Amino acid sequence: MKKIAIYGKGGIGKSTIVSNLSVAFAKKGLKVMQIGCDPKADSTIALRHGKHLPTVLETVRRNRDFALEEVVMPGYGGVACVEAGGPIPGLGCAGRGIITALEKLKEKGAYEIYQPDIVLYDVLGDVVCGGFSMPMRSGYADRVFIVTSGENMSIYAAANIAMAIDNFKGRGYAKLGGLILNKRNVRDEHKKVQELCTEIHTSVVGELDFCEIVQEAESLKQTVLEAFPDSHMAKQYMQLAEQMLEQAE
Amino acid sequence: MLTNLREEACIESTRVSFADAHFPVPFRQGLEYSSPVRGTWNIVHTGMLIPESHQIFVCAQGCLRGVVLTAAEMNALDRYSSVMIREENVIDGTMESLMIEGVADVLHKLNYRPKAVLLFISCQHFFLAYDQELVFETLRERFPDIRFMECYMIPTLRKSGLTPDQKMRMQLFSLLEPKEKDHKKINLIGSNLPISITSELVKILNQNGYQLQLLNWCETFDDYMDMAESCLNLVYEPIGIPAARDLEKRLGQPYCYLPFVFDFDELEKNYRKLTDRLNIVPQSYEKEKEEAISALKSAKELIGDACIATDYTFTFRILSFTKMLLLHGFHVTELYADTFLPEEQTDFEWIREHYPEIQIISTNRPDMRILPKERDDKVLAIGQKAAYFTGTDHFVNVVESGGMFGFDGIRQIAELMKDAYLNEKPRKEIIQKKGYGCESCI
Repeated sequence: MKKIAIYGKGGIGKSTIVSNLSVAFAKKGLKVMQIGCDPKADSTIALRHGKHLPTVLETVRRNRDFALEEVVMPGYGGVACVEAGGPIPGLGCAGRGIITALEKLKEKGAYEIYQPDIVLYDVLGDVVCGGFSMPMRSGYADRVFIVTSGENMSIYAAANIAMAIDNFKGRGYAKLGGLILNKRNVRDEHKKVQELCTEIHTSVVGELDFCEIVQEAESLKQTVLEAFPDSHMAKQYMQLAEQMLEQAE
Repeated sequence: MLTNLREEACIESTRVSFADAHFPVPFRQGLEYSSPVRGTWNIVHTGMLIPESHQIFVCAQGCLRGVVLTAAEMNALDRYSSVMIREENVIDGTMESLMIEGVADVLHKLNYRPKAVLLFISCQHFFLAYDQELVFETLRERFPDIRFMECYMIPTLRKSGLTPDQKMRMQLFSLLEPKEKDHKKINLIGSNLPISITSELVKILNQNGYQLQLLNWCETFDDYMDMAESCLNLVYEPIGIPAARDLEKRLGQPYCYLPFVFDFDELEKNYRKLTDRLNIVPQSYEKEKEEAISALKSAKELIGDACIATDYTFTFRILSFTKMLLLHGFHVTELYADTFLPEEQTDFEWIREHYPEIQIISTNRPDMRILPKERDDKVLAIGQKAAYFTGTDHFVNVVESGGMFGFDGIRQIAELMKDAYLNEKPRKEIIQKKGYGCESCI
């Protein structure tokens, strides 16, 4: 079982990329589980065609002895979809929420029961606290990929995430697999991202064009691979999935 | 400035008759009062049962007060250390390094080398989800000659999942590793106090060539580790069942639950269950039974119709015990308890049907703090809490059944009741001592 965490600045397009990757892996014949680690709980929305998925935390709040089927539901391509969820807005601790949700899934034997070939953790924005570093820990993801564009804030966030991974290198946590360049067509985009790669000793594993097809698929509440399977973007997602698998070996 | 809002206690909120009581929780849950009765054991007392071990608590300074006092009171400060969590450890996320370096510092400064360290984590660790695996792996690598036991002081989990007490009794055996089984060795686990050696249970095992082992009887750490050799774990307290299940899963040691009851038929069933399990010839317990009946009769003759109050600290199966007293003619008027075990329902229903007027009185409702304690009538209390709340100096001073299991145990309890009825005890002095049965400097 391969476990991959995708980090990146909020709004950079992680959930869109992760959902498309899930479908790409599923198309390769792999059993996929996608776990959204964001209190917004919208990671798997394109896989579920906009249908609500009860989050782990809201389910735990309702019933501590919940059944896995209540929080793990199939999405497009047979992807097992999970949303960690978060506290009541304005209250509680989002990081602690992620910790609880991931611990509950483990405690309930989600990985053993669903036996996915690949698990994708879609993790909110920056590593703002210990809770958001949970997917990097031993027993969770083996590899971390960071989504970035050439925008300064995105590069800054990516550098912070890389720093967190580096801080944990002595602990046997997840290793950095590389960057995913989600282009925004800003000036010197390649150059800036290459500079970041040099700084954090990694490389770009794949590039995704800035393309309106992605927004169109989103408005249809579908992944690009479902809505526009023959598009060049669909090919890019498939290629990215291939490269990530190689990196994760 | 604080204002006294109400001078009179609301007695109605603290008591209910069996006729009107809900099972298993007769009282509204909420703010709780903690009486000065300290005879029951806590996690420090229980942990100290492991020979040649040292306890290290890692928590905020304010939370250390209770455990350090326990260790001091039982003259075990040389086996106790603490590492304080400060605000910066939380903000900077340095909990793992604090644990590792703190424990290492303690071990370097100790003037002896413990065989095992019971490392207690607290609520802070839980909230921050510190990396426990990393901490313990690192400590085990750094100190390969010391075993590290993962222990918990997390009162915020008191009412969900395993209680701290259940968890402690389970973790207590977590250092045991699989060993070749000796088919003549049997453990009794899950109790803080040792079983009385005159109990039929001990006799059955001895007469059939079995060697019984208890943590209380282990003199060395190696004796403790050898408990992994036993082919069976006996457990008679429900609170010890999670430990028994864990050992069955980890070491392949099956367990046999023999409930610590006071019902004669149930006791015989227990013994049949044990002899069937061991495939040994059952014996007659008529003599022991007659002795128990005779002791109860003698106690009844002496005590007559004096009021008797029982409480849950005396035994986990207080309803079974109270029913036994009622069946033998004793005049039980009140029972101090806040909740009952699910397996006590049959006894609860029996008392409700036959003695519906008996009062169940809470020990932790806030109004219990100002209830009048002195009474004019002579009360015999069985258990420290019953003694405290009835204000009697005539009480049986026993916690967790005192290991008095079986017919022989009932005989012993009857003798203790007679003694308590005839002789006063220094109530205040006794009940404030923590962990009855442990050494105390008070």
